[in-house]
Amino acid sequence: MLIENMKMAFSAIQASKMRSFLTMLGIIIGIGSVISIVSIGDTMRGLFADLYGKIGITQAYVAIGYWVDERRQSDYFNLEEMERIKEIFGDEITYMDCDSQTSADASCARTTVKFNFTGIDYNYNEVQPINLIYGRFLNEGDVLGRRKNVVMDTVSAVNLFGEENAVGKSFRTTIYGTTDEYTVVGVYQKDMDPFEAMMMGANTEGGEAFLPYTILTWPNDMIYDLRFFCRSEETMDELCANIKNYVARIKDRRPEEIQLITARDQMGQWNGMLGGVSTAVGGIAAISLLVGGIGIMNIMLVSVTERTREIGIRKSLGARTRDILVQFLTESALLSACGGILGTLLGGGLVMAGGLLMGIPTVVRPGVVMLAVGFSALVGVFFGMYPASKAAKKDPIEALRYE
Amino acid sequence: MRQGKQNGERRSFGRKGQLPDYMTENICEDLIRLEDMVKIYDTGVLKVLGLKRINLTIHRGEFVAIMGQSGSGKSTLMNILGCLDRPTIGHYYLDGVDVAAMNPDQLSLIRNRKIGFVFQSFNLISRTSALKNVELPMTYARKSKKFREERARVLLERVGLGKRADHMPNELSGGQRQRVAIARALANEPPLLLADEPTGNLDTAASVEIMELFSQLHKEGTTVVVVTHEEEIAAFTERIIRFRDGQIVSDCPNVPRECGEERKTDASVKAEAAQKGDEALC
Ligand SMILES: Nc1ncnc2c1ncn2[C@@H]1O[C@H](COP(=O)(O)OP(=O)(O)O)[C@@H](O)[C@H]1O
Ligand SMILES: [Mg+2]
Repeated sequence: MLIENMKMAFSAIQASKMRSFLTMLGIIIGIGSVISIVSIGDTMRGLFADLYGKIGITQAYVAIGYWVDERRQSDYFNLEEMERIKEIFGDEITYMDCDSQTSADASCARTTVKFNFTGIDYNYNEVQPINLIYGRFLNEGDVLGRRKNVVMDTVSAVNLFGEENAVGKSFRTTIYGTTDEYTVVGVYQKDMDPFEAMMMGANTEGGEAFLPYTILTWPNDMIYDLRFFCRSEETMDELCANIKNYVARIKDRRPEEIQLITARDQMGQWNGMLGGVSTAVGGIAAISLLVGGIGIMNIMLVSVTERTREIGIRKSLGARTRDILVQFLTESALLSACGGILGTLLGGGLVMAGGLLMGIPTVVRPGVVMLAVGFSALVGVFFGMYPASKAAKKDPIEALRYE
Repeated sequence: MRQGKQNGERRSFGRKGQLPDYMTENICEDLIRLEDMVKIYDTGVLKVLGLKRINLTIHRGEFVAIMGQSGSGKSTLMNILGCLDRPTIGHYYLDGVDVAAMNPDQLSLIRNRKIGFVFQSFNLISRTSALKNVELPMTYARKSKKFREERARVLLERVGLGKRADHMPNELSGGQRQRVAIARALANEPPLLLADEPTGNLDTAASVEIMELFSQLHKEGTTVVVVTHEEEIAAFTERIIRFRDGQIVSDCPNVPRECGEERKTDASVKAEAAQKGDEALC
């Protein structure tokens, strides 16, 4: 009987294709926007997860909170304190540096390029993906000996030296008032997808280079914050709490005055924002589904009136109230579900096309698609209820007499 | 269940897979019994008396013609007999069961199992093949697909449309459409076949074919009631009931015209009519 009803509904929908399509339009747009919004959200979440996965979900920063009013000299960290923390927490911290950065002009022969220098420890490449293609990475000797060696990416190398393989080449720059000669010991390839480039800023004109953190703190030794990587995601909460308490103790602050940001928290904030946007746009999409549903109800009412005679014939042959009800409900549900499927194709197709265009891998979850189509069928059932019950209640003799 | 349980009865009505009592109870010798039956149409502005106090019994296996001028109440009667409409006053016993007390779904079940209705305007469902049209009453009787299709083909073969099973109604002639409608009416083997001016839209040749089919069905035991205003059509039946202004004015037996018998001349028809007129007087 269900299959029979489905067939009947299909042929009724096919009988007037244009009308059926126009009726579905509201649902198509509604479901299309839901699918695209959700898919864009999922895609973004995936991109953020990838991004944070690359830069390390366990990455964290600790400092005295910017909201603390009266600042003291002791609020700054020094290198001894950093070493002490490394010692205390041992294996739990896989990497730690003092998050030091500075920018300065670097010049070689007649070329001058503005460079961003980041101070790092020698094992930085163990916690961050660095695709070294020429030379070597900074080593323990470079860090401990404060050697003026740098590692830069290919783009910076080309900008400054005119070629990628700049190993052995040197340039002059002034850091903290001291001008010195620096030597390139390694060149790495930055592989960023378009999303990373957008989020992290792609370097095209200027230069970027890593140098030993010991150079960037010397001689000031006033460190605003410490950057570290935790051993694992599972233990990071506990570790962060312990570090927070420890820092509060040594700095004579309350734990609430210590700011500790983790990459995971940041990602959570992005996801939360995405969720908010999805919910808002989802609400708008729901309204268009409502409008689509009303469109279906309207056309089903017309259809019921047009087919009054058919209803009369069916009743005269023994169709009961429920048979007619189910017939028309099936039709409106199918109509609406077809709209849902077309909407899914539209929304999913748009998102995928956009992703292809931007070179971003997109995510269209099958579960979401099933939910959307199922929900649109439900919309059809809900808005088909009134027309169908109108059809089912018709008196057979009145219906047969209808011209 | 008389003819039920056998092939393809899948879902049944009521408890324990049984048809309700009113469907199975008694097999009455009087298939139709109308007692002081009155039908009043309430049009809102005024009340129209469709039928005035009808008392009528039709036995199982009869072949009856209902005749009368336009507006004399023939269709009103047929609609009530077919359980499409209800009497305003009085009783209609179909197979001994008072139909007036039934709710719409119970009436649907009765129409589905006990009555085959043939309309003047065929009333096939458009854009639906002849086969599917014939299957419909069986669909509503919850027969299996295989059973429905087989039986529908047998029935179409029976009415001489075996090769037209997959045709749409608009691809068939009037006579062919009416034969599909008859095949459909026979789908659930109903004991009662009602036809309201089944030949009204057909030419003479097609009309004769249809009436021969009814004669055949009557011979096989179906009770057939045909409304017509043509004497030639009525001549096929065994009993002619005449209506005027919502009342029965005569009810006489008739010697049926044999199948394949030569068509009567005008004179013989007139003579027959005159004879019937006499009977009506007596
Ligand atoms: N639905 C209706 N509403 C009001 N009056 C009706 C209706 N159907 C039939 N009638 C009236 O009942 C009478 C009998 O009609 P009907 O049974 O259709 O006659 P017949 O079929 O013999 O031509 C007529 O006077 C007709 O006007
Ligand atoms: Mg009539």
